[in-house]
Amino acid sequence: MSALVERRGATAVRRRRLSWRRLPAAPVSLAAGAVLWELIGRVADVPFFPPLTTVLGRLADMVSSGQIIGSLGDSLLNLALGFGISLAAGLAVGVAMGRYRKVEAALGVYVYALLTAPSLVFAPIFFSLLGEGRGSIVAVVVMYTVFIVIINTASAIRTVPGHLVEMARSYGARETQVLLRVILPAAAPMIMAGVRLGVGRAVTGMINGEMFIAVVGLGRIVTQAGGRFDGASVLAVLLVIIAVALGAVALVQAVDRRITRWVPKTTKDGL
Amino acid sequence: MIQIRGLSKSFVGQDGSVVHALRDVDLDIDENEFLTILGPSGCGKTTLLKAVAGLIPWNDGDILIDGSAVRGPGPERSMVFQNFALLPWATVLDNVGFGLRMRGIGRAERDERARALIEMVGLSGFETKRPGELSGGMQQRVGIARALAVEPRVLLMDEPFGAVDEQTRRLLQEELLSIWERRRMTVVFITHSMEEAVLLGDRVVLMSARPGQIAEIVPVPLPRPRSSDVGAIERSSDYVEVTAYLWDRLRDMHTEHRPSKVAG
Repeated sequence: MSALVERRGATAVRRRRLSWRRLPAAPVSLAAGAVLWELIGRVADVPFFPPLTTVLGRLADMVSSGQIIGSLGDSLLNLALGFGISLAAGLAVGVAMGRYRKVEAALGVYVYALLTAPSLVFAPIFFSLLGEGRGSIVAVVVMYTVFIVIINTASAIRTVPGHLVEMARSYGARETQVLLRVILPAAAPMIMAGVRLGVGRAVTGMINGEMFIAVVGLGRIVTQAGGRFDGASVLAVLLVIIAVALGAVALVQAVDRRITRWVPKTTKDGL
Repeated sequence: MIQIRGLSKSFVGQDGSVVHALRDVDLDIDENEFLTILGPSGCGKTTLLKAVAGLIPWNDGDILIDGSAVRGPGPERSMVFQNFALLPWATVLDNVGFGLRMRGIGRAERDERARALIEMVGLSGFETKRPGELSGGMQQRVGIARALAVEPRVLLMDEPFGAVDEQTRRLLQEELLSIWERRRMTVVFITHSMEEAVLLGDRVVLMSARPGQIAEIVPVPLPRPRSSDVGAIERSSDYVEVTAYLWDRLRDMHTEHRPSKVAG
């Protein structure tokens, strides 16, 4: 009897130990980060790195004064336009480059050059060409986003197994049918990987565009707060920007899951 | 029904030398004949099949089907691939209906015909599964159903059972025979197995490598239908004799290409 009780006690201990491991990693890591921020902020006591609680307080003020909401709408519109254009152009050019060697030879050099060039150097050009309106910011977002989408799409198209294309042709498929029914679906998982990279870069492009070209949206708040040495406001907006970025990525991932449901789970986790 | 006249195909190999994949191949295939093509690897048997399918160009010669020249894939032919070539994102139903879809047949009729074929190959109940959820043997059943769904007069099979295990292979052979006995069509079947070539074929085309040529055409004197008692067929003296003869010829071909012989 006593042995039984003891054994039960042992399993209970083991269970408690296991439950530590079962704690979800992401929330734990976030909580640790928040504590660390708060501590460093309090100890360092510098204007540009206020503790988390100060920043959250400022964020609440900014939200209730309506300052965030209006700017956020502006920024999201820039992001949506820029990302939408990048997606449409990136897929079209990427498919053409992946499928037709001539197109690849003609455009490849530009795409790789512009992918590696720091996108922000084009800001003055857009500024002088398109003025300080929305056009310039959207153009910067596109510069940040479109090339990574093109390159991923092109290599995704190129890695589609030749035997699937041959199979489709053996059933008399025309080129458009081969593209739409075989090549695009087969390339979808890898194309979506490029889109996921693209959405992160689009958020960066949006903020940089707003900070350096036309001072609108969230970028304007950051620029103005920075000018006032108002560290709490800068970091408060940064939190909003991170939220926007995470939201955009989550949206893309939701679409990705719908499109690539057929990919076996093991390889999907590995991506 | 199919006439192949003086068919030659060569290409430049990686080391710059010219490889004769096929040289001067003449072959007549009768309507509703089950023809098996047997040969060592590299003898150009898959090249020959793909040429008949209209999937690859050739240098010389003609392929005629009912007197008209092959210039590409056509609705009277369909193909079963060694690696199945199924669309991994599509369900069994959509995979089987793929050929019909390419030919512009609407969803309702497509599904109806696909379902009938799925039943024929014994996959009822698996309509909504994807290829990744099926075994190799089941995947090739899907491949066969897809090829049959377009109601071909010529079925081109490129080592269709080469990628499945021995037991599954035997089951699939029996089922292919039984399908073909019920629904006659011209079949051109590539294999590297003597037993398979003899069990299935009316005639066995023996090909030799480098250059790919027809070495001999061996008639198979086995009665039909064969699907009902494959075991008895395999024990019959005709089966044993033809299989042994084919192996003798194949072994000679392999010996001819042994490096020591070539050097001497």
